[in-house]
Amino acid sequence: MIHHVQKTIPNPMNSTRKTLKRIEDAVGPIRLHRFGHDHGHAHDESVSDVEADVLAEVRKRAGEIHERLAHEHGVYCVEFAGSTGGGKTMLIERLLERASEDEVIGAVVGDVAGEDDAKRFRAHGIPVENVNTEKECHLDPTMVSEAIESFDLEELDTLYLENVGNMVCPADFPLGANRRVLVVSTTEGDDVIRKHPMLVQTADIVAINKIDVAEAVGTDVDRICDDIEAVAPGTPIVETDAKNDVGIDELAAALEPDGTHAHHGEAPHSH
Amino acid sequence: MHELSIAMGIVNRALETAEEHGAETVTALTVELGSATHVNPAQLKFCIETAAKETPVAEAVVTIEEVTPLAECVCGWEGTPGTLDQAMVYAPDVTCPECGDRTTLIRGRECRLATVELPDEQSHQKSAQETPAPTQNKPPEEKRLLQDNKS
Repeated sequence: MIHHVQKTIPNPMNSTRKTLKRIEDAVGPIRLHRFGHDHGHAHDESVSDVEADVLAEVRKRAGEIHERLAHEHGVYCVEFAGSTGGGKTMLIERLLERASEDEVIGAVVGDVAGEDDAKRFRAHGIPVENVNTEKECHLDPTMVSEAIESFDLEELDTLYLENVGNMVCPADFPLGANRRVLVVSTTEGDDVIRKHPMLVQTADIVAINKIDVAEAVGTDVDRICDDIEAVAPGTPIVETDAKNDVGIDELAAALEPDGTHAHHGEAPHSH
Repeated sequence: MHELSIAMGIVNRALETAEEHGAETVTALTVELGSATHVNPAQLKFCIETAAKETPVAEAVVTIEEVTPLAECVCGWEGTPGTLDQAMVYAPDVTCPECGDRTTLIRGRECRLATVELPDEQSHQKSAQETPAPTQNKPPEEKRLLQDNKS
């Protein structure tokens, strides 16, 4: 005869409201990168709760990257996510061209295979860490924390993270950047937001790229804007045409650390 | 899309729990999976069973329980968020029905190993001889497990 004893791993939901608040602060609610400027996050919660929750563990590791980059070394980190061929690499290149002489910039490039994007960034004279994810379809915080070790973080002002072209998985895998820019392009169709709502909800800024060809491919940019507002209200939108250098100043302005800041304003977050 | 790496994390955690309690096998495990994730429940179950092969978790009955999201707003509203009509796939409506501000999800994004069942005779011989152990959660064990995890 076999008797079973059920082990219950403590669930934050069963604990007090206070504990819940603390865990929410540490793990982050729907917009993960907002672990920003409150200190002490991810330090005072029960280790077991996080370890039992695999996705919370991912968010905790992203929080550690944020802690290391933003708080220990003052590095401003911007992630670019979006489809393959949407223009992530070219948008970053345009920002590199605009950077002031004394700004020290680095980039981590995630691709399933190859060095093509990394080579493009190296041509701008910046240090680049290429991460071939191979069997994984997205960058995860563990890969990023290994990659950032190859930079002189004390020297670095800005770090760009270019995620693998993927409109699904990065929603579950924040990387600890100050901002996540989601790049969607008009060639993806004007239903792109409705197809990938949960990724849109993790974005701090959405760049609608290739606006120059919107009419030619029959894409209604207003429709995309309306969908973004419905899916993730208040998310700043920038219309760009990276190839012809259109909208890049607006994107750079939206990315200014002191500009529209996701940690404040439209998105409620209890500290 | 990334069920296997998540499944490996779950299996490892179940193995640790078994080891902490001196159990040679795990008979069942339950995973709470939030609906506001991109983890597919059926694939996750398959991946856990696959990752568990040739481990003490191999024979475990795997149950995936879906967790409905819970949202709260700074205005004090708390409840189950609606589903976005505009979206072609499930996504929570993050607009507060009370004040129109953006809400935050406090539940629905988890993928946590909620329970692990171990054979009673291996780790709890004494209590098994006295009374058949109830299958409900027992606070003292909860506490013990939490302490074990912290050490």
